[in-house]
Amino acid sequence: MDLGTFVSQFISGLSVAMLIFLVASGLTLIYGVLNVLNFAHGSFYLLGTYFAFQLMQLIPNFWLGLVAGVFGAGVVGMIIEVLFLRRIYGRPDEGAFQLLMTYAFILVLDDAVKFIWGPEYKTISKPPIFSGSVTIGPVVVPAYNIFIILVGLVVVLFAWYLLNRTESGKKVRASSIDRQMLSLLGANVPLIMTVVFGIATAMGGLAGVLAAPLRTVTPGAGIEVIIDSLIVVVIGGFGNFWGALLGALIIGEVLSFGILWWAELATVLTFIVMIVVLIWKPEGLLSTKSAGGK
Amino acid sequence: MKKSFLVAVLIVAWLTPLTTVFSAETIKIGALYTMTGRGGQYGKDSEVAIKMALDEVHEKGLPGDRKLEVIITDDKNPQYAVSVAKRYISEDKVKFLFGIISSAIGLAVTEVSKEQKVILVGTDHAATDLTANKFQKYYFRSANNTFQSMMAGAMYLKDEVKNWKKIAYIGPDYAYGRDQWMEVKWGLDKLGVKYEVVGEYWPKLYEPDYTSYVTAIMKAAPDVLIVGFWGGDTVSFIKQAKPYKLFEKMIYFHVDAGGNYEAMAALADEMPQGLILSARHHNNWPDTPENKAYVQKFFKAAGRYPSYAASGAYVGIHMIAEAIRKVGNANDTEALVKAMEGMKIQCPEDPPGFTSYIDPATHQIVQVQAIGTTVKNDTLPPAKYMLGNWKVYPAEKLWPISEYVEYLTKAKGK
Amino acid sequence: MKKLGSYLSWAVYGVVFLGIVLVNPGEHYIHLAARVIIFSLYAVAFNILFGTTGLVSFGQALFYGIGAYVTGMLAKSIGPQFFLLYIVLGAVLASSVSVLIGLLTLRLTGVYFTMLTLAFAQLAWGVTFKLYHFTGGDDGIQAIPKPELLAGSGVLKYYLFSFVVVTISLYIIWRITHSPFGALLRGIRQNPRRITFLGLNVYRNQLVAYVVSAFFAAVAGGLYSGLDGSIHPDMLHWPTSGNAILMATIGGMSSFFGPVVGAAILTGLEEIVGRHTEYWSFFIGAAVVIVVLLFPRGILGIRWSGWHRKEEEKETRVAPDTGN
Repeated sequence: MDLGTFVSQFISGLSVAMLIFLVASGLTLIYGVLNVLNFAHGSFYLLGTYFAFQLMQLIPNFWLGLVAGVFGAGVVGMIIEVLFLRRIYGRPDEGAFQLLMTYAFILVLDDAVKFIWGPEYKTISKPPIFSGSVTIGPVVVPAYNIFIILVGLVVVLFAWYLLNRTESGKKVRASSIDRQMLSLLGANVPLIMTVVFGIATAMGGLAGVLAAPLRTVTPGAGIEVIIDSLIVVVIGGFGNFWGALLGALIIGEVLSFGILWWAELATVLTFIVMIVVLIWKPEGLLSTKSAGGK
Repeated sequence: MKKSFLVAVLIVAWLTPLTTVFSAETIKIGALYTMTGRGGQYGKDSEVAIKMALDEVHEKGLPGDRKLEVIITDDKNPQYAVSVAKRYISEDKVKFLFGIISSAIGLAVTEVSKEQKVILVGTDHAATDLTANKFQKYYFRSANNTFQSMMAGAMYLKDEVKNWKKIAYIGPDYAYGRDQWMEVKWGLDKLGVKYEVVGEYWPKLYEPDYTSYVTAIMKAAPDVLIVGFWGGDTVSFIKQAKPYKLFEKMIYFHVDAGGNYEAMAALADEMPQGLILSARHHNNWPDTPENKAYVQKFFKAAGRYPSYAASGAYVGIHMIAEAIRKVGNANDTEALVKAMEGMKIQCPEDPPGFTSYIDPATHQIVQVQAIGTTVKNDTLPPAKYMLGNWKVYPAEKLWPISEYVEYLTKAKGK
Repeated sequence: MKKLGSYLSWAVYGVVFLGIVLVNPGEHYIHLAARVIIFSLYAVAFNILFGTTGLVSFGQALFYGIGAYVTGMLAKSIGPQFFLLYIVLGAVLASSVSVLIGLLTLRLTGVYFTMLTLAFAQLAWGVTFKLYHFTGGDDGIQAIPKPELLAGSGVLKYYLFSFVVVTISLYIIWRITHSPFGALLRGIRQNPRRITFLGLNVYRNQLVAYVVSAFFAAVAGGLYSGLDGSIHPDMLHWPTSGNAILMATIGGMSSFFGPVVGAAILTGLEEIVGRHTEYWSFFIGAAVVIVVLLFPRGILGIRWSGWHRKEEEKETRVAPDTGN
């Protein structure tokens, strides 16, 4: 393979990775802080696309659409957390109920979206400044993809700063370790959990809006991203933000080069990676927790 | 004298409503369509087209003042669809099974049709198998299969496209995607065209991200990229490929579902010019009053212009109506089968001087294929580009081709 | 008292599933009952892991699928004379595979275990999809013949056959879960450490449960392949695994017949909702949310809240679930 091919596949893998990362980071955050496996996370990605689309029907401005998508997804997320998820915290077999409840929400939200906006697929356009492409040597990279990569990096830095350098961030990290202890210390744990859930779903919505100009706005879009995001979260380590980034990079590049080298296996490649990681280092590549008791 | 006459009149007047009750039979058709997820639009469009067709059928009338009624259920997955089909037959007493978007579901339900001897009119799924190696006599299809599209495509490549040698293929990694590739190569081989395959790409169905495929294809640098997507995947791929200037470096060739109206509507201004596309029905070809009327009627009913799925459903209903008219009732299945074989049925997509017909041996509708290239045309918004520069391929040249049926039977079995 | 309860449940089971034959409400409903009874076996097999041993497996569809494909492919290529044998072969293959997968997955706990089971099932789905020359890929396999004895028009004979196979299987599972081994599994669910303290090997016993569960899930799959004569890789796809969890939870995971009730409810709901609206996802989703919020012990869980549950609750208070 010549350098040109390598570089172009690498960069395209990078942009794929960034979009998965944005969804997976929300997913891992929710798990890390709330101990909830939000199987419906893909549906917030979906909501992001539709809220953005709807706004852009009224005011054809991508940036406003972005805000609408992010906010909309965040708000719906918080509503769902308060009204539904809260009631199953602390139950025995909580894990199974979370899975069921969030699975149920995938069904509900998918149909809701179809009911409100109809089954035809819709599109939104990229913001005009990013519609061109940049040529780096032998490689052509669409400007918009670079934009996505940058947004991903900004999100990462921002989140790192928030979680490690601010008071609230520390509280958030503490609640992932021990909810009860934290509330005994006077922190408003339910509020923290709702806000974190909202931020995470907002990130899912952000991913949706960013991806929408490249893909289509359609019911069913949520289900397509959830499995890949789950794989990334598993590889990186549940609750591990940096792990989600690493996992996304691995998956993005594996897919990108996989289609050249093992075209036949493209469909199952990501599951193979997931299995390998789960067997070799089940808690995730960057995690320090333990995953088994044997 | 007067009294008994009066009594007779009264008796007749009293009995007449009873006779109409007895003769106004409702013939039920059990339809299965995808109403959710990615394929949901086709189900919805089919539903609208069915209603349109039913109105027309009832206006013209059926023998004995019968009425047609269509029950539509979301087909979900093959196992569920089979149980719904069986319920349609045993509970709802349908005389016909109808529709189906997914070929996998079509393959499962055709077995029910065969076993229970109930006619199945397929209106949208295009796997050639159903009218070839998996043929069974109660199955009819009112839309073209992938072979017809790809054979026309092979002819187009031979006659209309100059200076090409290297081809690559990208399509969804399942039977529909693989069949189109197999068929276009078979067609090219049959026509004696020499070509070189420089790449094959198999993203999964509904793949959200084609970026890595685009860069790989750019590197492989084929002269012609043959594409097998449908629905939203077409839109995603084109959007993602555009900034890489893929369309300037190679010819984009997508003749089964590429020219589907809803893709053009979704892409609007982003649709590149000069793509070679076709679909199973075009909203702007042929330019006949019948086609125009059909398209406008659909727009009135749905608030948007139809995707090709609608025309299959529309034609399917009319086929059933015609068969019932020929036979006089809907109970003699064998007679209905005979009536449909060879039946000529005017479709919105028929150019002047040609009427589509059902091939008696395979029960596949035989229609012309028109392939065009994208040009600026905003007569049917929100699409900004539609097809033009049409090349039309005669129906008999595309089906039936027994050589291919043999080839397919060897490849896939019965 | 307990014994009377169990006789009662078996009696109700018999009355419902045999009674439907006597009432004979029509072809469609017998077919529906056949689906319910086959799914019941699938769900009860799953519940060996879930309700009894406390393992949330998201990969049961893998074994169900193996059963379906082995039975279906053998019946199609060799002929349906040895149909029952094919089902058994499918179950044996599934259990063999489950030993390997169990060895790997059971090393993990909680969500990691769940994810790995999902990964394996998805891998199997992908492979089945891709090996289309062998498995027919997403075209599925059609026209799987039923054995002569059960063929002919109408599904009644096949239903009775399924009923017999399922009932025998359920009885075997019943004996297993009501044996000391079953009590051991329940102990593992409540407090694995305590079990280890007693000198018993948690891992090995979970593995046995895993294999048994896989065996019967495959039997269910094998039965399904003959019902409509059509199978599809969807049977291995994650929503099928999800359905097992749904059925066990809706019906009640803590009781033996809970998953049977759950299977009936889910299938019935799909049927009714599917008939009347295209928005069936919404209604099923909403129903699940309601069940999760209001009936966490499932439908059967509410009624039994008298005697059974109190004993279980006592146990849990002693060793609180810290969750993984």
